[in-house]
Order: sequence, then structure tokens, then C-alpha cells
Amino acid sequence: MHFIPFQKFKADHGLEFLFTILLITIFTLIILPFRSQGGQDHTIMSLLYLLPVVLSSLLWGLGPGALAAVISFLVLNYFFVPPYKTLLVHQTQDLIVLIVFLGVSITIGQLVARVSKSLAASKAREHEAIHLYELITHLAASKDSQEIISTLAEQTLITLGARQVEVMVEGQADIPPSHVRLEGSQQAAARIDSKPTHIVPLQSTGGFLGEIRVWRENAKFSPEEERVLNTFASQGVSTLERIRLSQAASRARLLEESDRFKSLLLSSVSHELRTPLATIKAAVTGLSSQTVEWDSDARQDLLSAVEEETDHLNLLVGNLLNMSRIEAGALKPECSWNSLDEIVSTSLERTRQQTSRHELVVEVPPELPPVLVDYFQIEQVFINLISNSTKYSPEGSTIRIQAVKMDEEALLVMVSNQGPHVAQEDLERIFDKFVRVTAADKVTGAGLGLSICKGIIEAHGGRIWAENLEQGFGFKLTIPISWDGFSRKAGEELTCE
Amino acid sequence: MTTQPHILVIDDEAQILRALRTILTAKQFKVSVASSGEEGLTLAAAQKPDLIILDLSLPDIDGVEVCTRLREWSQVPIIILSVRDGERDKVFALDKGADDYLTKPFGIEELLARIRVALRHSAQTMGSQKSQVIYTGNVAIDLAMHSISRGGEEVKLTATEFKLLAYLASNAGRVLTNRSILSHVWDPAEMDRVEYLRVYIRQLRKKLETDPDHPHIIRNEPGIGYRFMVED
Repeated sequence: MHFIPFQKFKADHGLEFLFTILLITIFTLIILPFRSQGGQDHTIMSLLYLLPVVLSSLLWGLGPGALAAVISFLVLNYFFVPPYKTLLVHQTQDLIVLIVFLGVSITIGQLVARVSKSLAASKAREHEAIHLYELITHLAASKDSQEIISTLAEQTLITLGARQVEVMVEGQADIPPSHVRLEGSQQAAARIDSKPTHIVPLQSTGGFLGEIRVWRENAKFSPEEERVLNTFASQGVSTLERIRLSQAASRARLLEESDRFKSLLLSSVSHELRTPLATIKAAVTGLSSQTVEWDSDARQDLLSAVEEETDHLNLLVGNLLNMSRIEAGALKPECSWNSLDEIVSTSLERTRQQTSRHELVVEVPPELPPVLVDYFQIEQVFINLISNSTKYSPEGSTIRIQAVKMDEEALLVMVSNQGPHVAQEDLERIFDKFVRVTAADKVTGAGLGLSICKGIIEAHGGRIWAENLEQGFGFKLTIPISWDGFSRKAGEELTCE
Repeated sequence: MTTQPHILVIDDEAQILRALRTILTAKQFKVSVASSGEEGLTLAAAQKPDLIILDLSLPDIDGVEVCTRLREWSQVPIIILSVRDGERDKVFALDKGADDYLTKPFGIEELLARIRVALRHSAQTMGSQKSQVIYTGNVAIDLAMHSISRGGEEVKLTATEFKLLAYLASNAGRVLTNRSILSHVWDPAEMDRVEYLRVYIRQLRKKLETDPDHPHIIRNEPGIGYRFMVED
């Protein structure tokens, strides 16, 4: 909605008075020929002269109205009251007529001007209300501070008929500073570097937020326009504050979430570390006990328990370290040419204890092309996948490790077990940190293993995913063979030469 | 009953089972092991062990649940062995009928000491059906006759003091939570009035202990409750 600012009804001061004089001159020229010779009709004339007085009060207000009254009084006296062409008045009754005319015309003029002024004011107030309503409706629909600022600039531009409007908001905490400049359709881009005609600060309870700058041809703002501009500014501020508060609330929620994650990690890690420690401490304090004579079998048994649990601890600590490296983006594969079957066989060696109650089938042909990978990291991936499979599949079932050449670019590896299916919506989620789709208490582990696998494989430029198989459950992953293909895809993570 | 006390260990960690079996066997106990809650309950019913060592994190049912179900038909001493070290976890398990609580990792001597205390306690409760007299240090407590003597001299107790001492002594060796003491000696409605308990424990210690500031008979279990010790 576009409306012409009410000030355009009025010309500049000075001009109004000139118009008034002009109007009376023309009016006089028109009625002068109808003047009677004797001058008896000057009472009628004086009635006629009320017309230009009312007109100028209506059009140009109080001052010009009063001026019209005085000039009409003089003109009547000079041209229409005998003796003509002099300001002298011979008859007393003429004098009374003239004085009454002056009084009546000034009073009427003032009344008319006042009515027209209050009409204009109420119209202005109506416009103000409409614009405010428009602004509020638009602001209510705004979702972020950028949108609010644009709305504010747009509405200011339209309402004030400005040439250019600029809304500037300073950055706060983690909110970036924003800046919007809008130009009116006419005379766009003229004299942009000139000073703004008007500046309104955006002031909140918390302090200075920014300001609205307005450039306009007509530099003078009416009180109504000032009021509109100030209301716009305060509306803008309260909407900005609302958005900021809601953003602060959602940041607080995020922090809470990450706090919850951290305490989850702590409890999970302490649980995981203490379990092997318990065995180690029990065995060691048992061995050092003075009250028992240990036979060599028992001693050997306790010592090997300590050894295996130490390995277990080492694996856990390694996983934690890798996790924090992946988190920090500092996991750098130290690649060399390796054959996959070697890596698989050492990882089987290291999980021998865990897999003792499962059937293992390995189908990794030694003639597969060598891959450029970090030996220990890929070994960790296999250890984690095998260990995951032993935890979630029934004892005595089969765990199968297969690798084939997928195409010229990559090897496809599958580690599958005969465990239960995982719900479709959880297939992605199991690679997230601390996510265990089965009840956490029933299976040991920090829920880190799979997310580490994902981190490592992705750092190698490969991909890992999980699938429900016809009989059981499988992890699939790709390892790039072709170095060129790899460097194109993950160039920035490339540290291997 | 065999001369060798029989201990059942219920824990899902193969390694800790292996270590405990080796050590406890060397310590002249008869040991059987179970790696799940259900298996543990079945073995407990079939073999009637003299003591059960129970982990709280089991693959099938929670250890506290195992504890509750055991208590439905058996008074066998239960020692909880768990990595959960929160006060709440301990109190919860003890309230559900466990006798003692040891957090992992633990020293084997401490476990053995707790096993001895628990076995002695259970022997005493069985024996005390006849005698009803409990000896600790130079204190003799005759629950049936309501008489307490310290170094041969009679100790006078108020009714509440006696009720409290009787409850503690008849559960000698067990860790009793504040709430269970309050609800037995006072009233279940007063379960949270720990300050009552503090006052009466202090009075009892003054009358019974050689050094009330370093108690040997009524021991503190910080944050949990008290334990009445039967000294050798």
C-alpha cells in the first residue's frame, strides 16, 4: 500500500502566502467589473469576500487564512467602499460593516483551518495505525534477524516515501552484524554517500543494537512521521530481542545436550575401564596374597587373565584416543601399501579370545590388489567390527569376513554375522557415538566402536554402512585402491604420499 | 553341608569369573559360576550355595532384580560386586536385600574379608536360634533376656536403644541402610529422619565402645548406613 505523505498537500511556507495573495487578486479582478457606481452593494461584496478567506484557510491553514481576511478587508475598503481607491471611510455604517467583516472572516477562517487540520491529523493517525499494523504483521512472520531487518527497512521505505533506507544492526555475542539497504524506485542510487536526513537508534534494554537511517527529498519530518519512525524502531527492537531470546534458548538446549553426552561418555568410559581393571586387580592382589601357596597352573591362569585384560584395556584406550582424534579432526592416516589379508589375519589374532565361542569364516583372497592404508587404523576397524559381531550374535554362530574387488577404484569388504536384524531406521544411527540399539546394560562397550570405524574409513576416502542380510546382519565398507580416485575425492584429508 | 563353604559367583565378564574361580578355589572354597541372571538363579536353587557374589550389570536381568528374587525364598548372604559406585546404586541394592557391596576394582583381601564376615554372620544367625547371645569384643548381648553386659558389668539401655541394638546385632556383618534401620526400629513413616538415628547411634557407642570416636562395634558405612561388627 502506497500513500502520498500528507505534507504534499501543502506547499512550502511563503509560497502559501503568495498563493493567498494571488487568489484574492484574481477574485478581485473577476468581481471588480460588477461593482455598482454608488457603492451601495459593498455589504454583498463583503459577503462574497468570505469565499477566498474560507478557501485559503481550508487549503493552506491558519496563517494564510488570517492573511486572506486582512487583505480582503483592505481590498474591500479600497475598491468597494466609497470613496474608492482610498482607505478612507466616510460613513460610520460602512466602517461597522468593514470591522464586522474582518472579525467574521478571521473567525470563520480560523474555524475552517482548525477543522481541516484535525481532519488531516486523524487521517494521518489512521495511516500511522495501518502502517504499524502492516509492520507488525510482517515482523510476526519473520523467523530470523536478517528477515526482521529487511522487513523493517522495507516498511520504513514505503511508509515515509523515502529515497533510501538503511538498517544496520551491530553483531552481538555470536550473532553476526547485519546491514540492509533499500532504495526507492524513483531516483534510485542518487547521492548515496550524502548524509542521511534522519537517524533513529535501535535501543534495547540491553543497550544499543543498531540504527535506522533514512534519506528523503523532503528532509523535514512531521511529528507524526517521527512518531511512526520511532514506533517502527521500538517494534523492530522488541522483535529482534524475541528472536535473540529464542536463539539463546535453543543454544542452551544444545549445550545441555552436549553436557548430557559428556556425562554419558564419562559413565560409559568409567564402566568400561573398570571392568578389565577389576580382573587385573583381583588377579594381582590374589597373586601377591601371602596366605596362599599358588600352584603353577593357577598362577599361570591368573597371569594370562591379567595379560588379556591389559590388552583389552589397551584396545579401549586406543578407541577412546581415536575417537577424540576423529572429533578434533586430527585423525591422519599414515598410509603405506598393505595387503588386506594380512591386516585381517592380525586383527583375528588380536580378537582370538573374544571370538573363541564363534565360528569364523575368512574369504579374503591374497591376490587382491594392495591398498594404500594406515595399517593400524584399518586393523582397528576390523577389530571393532569383529568385536561388535561377537557381542550381538549368538554363541556358536558364524562370523564371515569377505573381500572382493568392487571395480577398478575400490575393494568391497563385508563383515557379517548371524545376529538379529536392526530396525531400518537405526541402520544409520548405529554409527553415531554412544548409540547402542540394544539395551545398554546388556552388552559391554562404550558405543564408540562403530563410530570410530566410520571415522577411520571416511578418512581413508571410503564408505561404511550396515545392512540387514537374509540371514543375519552385515557391515559393508569400501576401501579405495586407485590413488588418483582417492586424492580427487578426499584431497584435503590426504596426508599419505 | 560340606566343610568347604560353597560360593556362587554371578558375573557376565568371563575374565573376572576366571580370576575369582582360581583365587577362591585356592582359598579352599567350593566355587560355581554363572554368567547370566537366570543361570545364577537356577544354580542358586539347585546347589544352595553358602554365599553369592553378584554383579549388577548382567546381560539378561538386572542384578538388583536377581537379589530381590533370591530373597523371596533364601537368606543366603549376597555380596554385590559392581562398577556402579553411586551411593544411590549401593543403597538400592542393599535395600533390596544384599548384605554387602564392593565396588570394582577391588583388592582380593578385602573381598575375602567381606566373605568371612558374611559367612560368620549367617552361621551366627543360624546358631543364634538357640543361644540368642551375640558376643563382640568385651560386649555380650542377650537378645532373649534383654540384657547387655560390657566387661561383665551390666549396661543399661533405654527401650529404643535396645531395639536399635537388637536390630543391628541380629544383622551382624550386614550393611544396613539408614532407611531400613529407621523403618524397622522407629516407623516406616520416619524413614527420612536420619538425625534420630545419629543421636541414638552416638548414645549406643558411648555405652558400648571402648573409644566411641573410633568405633569398632557399630561401624559407619559413609553415605549408606551402619554395620554391626562381630569381632574375632
